[in-house]
Amino acid sequence: MAMMIPYGERVTPDDRTVAARPLMRPRPAGRTLRIVVASLLAVWFALPLVPLLLWSVASRWSAPAALPTEWGFDGLAAAVTAGAVPAFGRSLVLGLVVAAVATPLGAMAARALARGAVPAPRLVSGILLAPLALPAFVAVMGLTIVLLRARVPGLIGVVILLVAAALPYTVYTMRVAYAAHDLAYEEEARTLGASRGHVLWRVHLPLVAPGLARAAFLAFLVGWSDYVVTVLVGGGTIVTLPLLVASFAGGVGNDAVVAVLSLSAIVPPLVLLLGLGRFGRRYPTARYLTGPTASRSPKGAP
Amino acid sequence: MSASLALDSLTKVFDGAVAPALDGVSLSVDAGECLAILGPSGSGKSSVLRAIAGLDAPTSGRILVDGADVAGVAPERRGMAMVFQRPLLFPHLSVLDNVAFAATVAGQPKREARADARQFLELVQLEGFGERPVTALSGGQEQRVAIARALAARPRVLLLDEPFSALDPELRTDMHALLRQICQQLNPTIVMVTHDRDEAAVVADRVALLSAGRLLQHDTVERLYTRPVALAVARLMGGRIELPGEVGNGVHRSALGAIAAPDGESWPEGPGMLVVRHEAVHVAPLESAVPDGMVAVEVVVADRRARGPRAEISLACGEAMLEAEVPASRPLVVGQRAITHIPRSACTVVPLDER
Repeated sequence: MAMMIPYGERVTPDDRTVAARPLMRPRPAGRTLRIVVASLLAVWFALPLVPLLLWSVASRWSAPAALPTEWGFDGLAAAVTAGAVPAFGRSLVLGLVVAAVATPLGAMAARALARGAVPAPRLVSGILLAPLALPAFVAVMGLTIVLLRARVPGLIGVVILLVAAALPYTVYTMRVAYAAHDLAYEEEARTLGASRGHVLWRVHLPLVAPGLARAAFLAFLVGWSDYVVTVLVGGGTIVTLPLLVASFAGGVGNDAVVAVLSLSAIVPPLVLLLGLGRFGRRYPTARYLTGPTASRSPKGAP
Repeated sequence: MSASLALDSLTKVFDGAVAPALDGVSLSVDAGECLAILGPSGSGKSSVLRAIAGLDAPTSGRILVDGADVAGVAPERRGMAMVFQRPLLFPHLSVLDNVAFAATVAGQPKREARADARQFLELVQLEGFGERPVTALSGGQEQRVAIARALAARPRVLLLDEPFSALDPELRTDMHALLRQICQQLNPTIVMVTHDRDEAAVVADRVALLSAGRLLQHDTVERLYTRPVALAVARLMGGRIELPGEVGNGVHRSALGAIAAPDGESWPEGPGMLVVRHEAVHVAPLESAVPDGMVAVEVVVADRRARGPRAEISLACGEAMLEAEVPASRPLVVGQRAITHIPRSACTVVPLDER
């Protein structure tokens, strides 16, 4: 039997739903589930690092023991002796050079594609993305011969190939950035008296800066973590961190060295990623102010 | 600071387009004058503005600023400043640095550029907003900043491309008042594009009416309403009364009877369409005296449509139809007979075809 509610004291739909369960707050069960899933993911990502961290400060760790049986810095010492420091430096420079070349190239290609200034844009996009689909080993084997015949020095050959490998990432990232970019900002700047150079430095680049940072990060990773190209085209003369890791990992009893080298290989990307999160954001939002206008979402944000 | 502007048979054909976006548009704007370019969507209004700004090169024709051809002059060297429909405030700069943009790129020291920008923020009644990020502004405030930024560039011609059409009616009225105040204080030459007849009437000294890339009429607001040169002009300006007939000896004969041309006007002989603004049609009770200079026509109320405080009524005069507006309180009902008084000075004859 329905309960009698006096006229004028009717329960509104708002009373029934909003008071009992505010719309925006997840139900307790859902919340727990999310926390559990997030924790599992965090463990999944962090777990591989634990043995690495332990090995890097272990001198001996025999099979059944849960923890290293002998602590020490033998791994670090061996890594330094093996030339880890200059290898780290070479990798860093290689990553930075690849980023410095591939990012502007990718940005220019993406802008031309986004503006429709390219004939057969689908074909061109396809070619630019092709290095992703091609097994790196196949392409590199063929290109090594070409580069050798053309008498291109090994180091330059490595950079050229790595830039080509990084281009799909920078082009794709910048296409997304330019899709959200409004050319009218640049036209406005020009009518206000800004030359092409001023428009580039004061309007265009600041507006696509977050995209550029993301693209440069990906390009850096290509150079930083490359093994195949450096080995085959560099002919073993350019010893980078991945080469060192690989050579030690191939041997037996080098777990401590490999751990130290692997950990040091994580550091630069991690630092860049944190920097990206800090500086790669878009522009100040209205949090700054009070009032109803403050809650508006920033216009033009992707 | 202000310059005169002239367009000389400006034509623009976009790649792959069959019909030109602009077809031989010629007009002139005096220094310190505000011209509104009025027209329906796709009439080429914005193309005119982009050509003047140098953002698009015209296919043919000349653009003269103070008598000098600006063909081939880069947009940044033309001394124009443009305000678009969207405010396009640079999101990486504060409100003040947005307004100081023109001075900054012109190489002024930052401190001076900012001091200058503050004056323009004051002009648009946003003093104290300078330090805010542009995302902390409302739509009306954003457009005020955009106008301040354009004015701070000291443009020889200020170009406004439907700057207020995204704002709600109340804000738009505020912006019209602001624009009039700016005109009084700085006397800039303004070319404003709009599709809103009322906006053009409120803001502009003269109006250029565009349709399908052609300039139909370039005249004062009042003459566009009362002395259209073509049927298309009368229709685009919202005219609702059209009476086909024939002019002979300066007298137009139609279903309304014979109407002589007003003093000082001459109508071309032959077939012609008599057009009258419905606002000019006065509905009077039967047997009321006919004032001087008025044409009296006996009519029957054929239809009445409520429009808030006003009512639109259709009046039948034999085969012909007249339109009028009366206060909603007037007790005119369908079928009622009445007399309409039409001022002879409000009558115009235009060619029959739409051209």
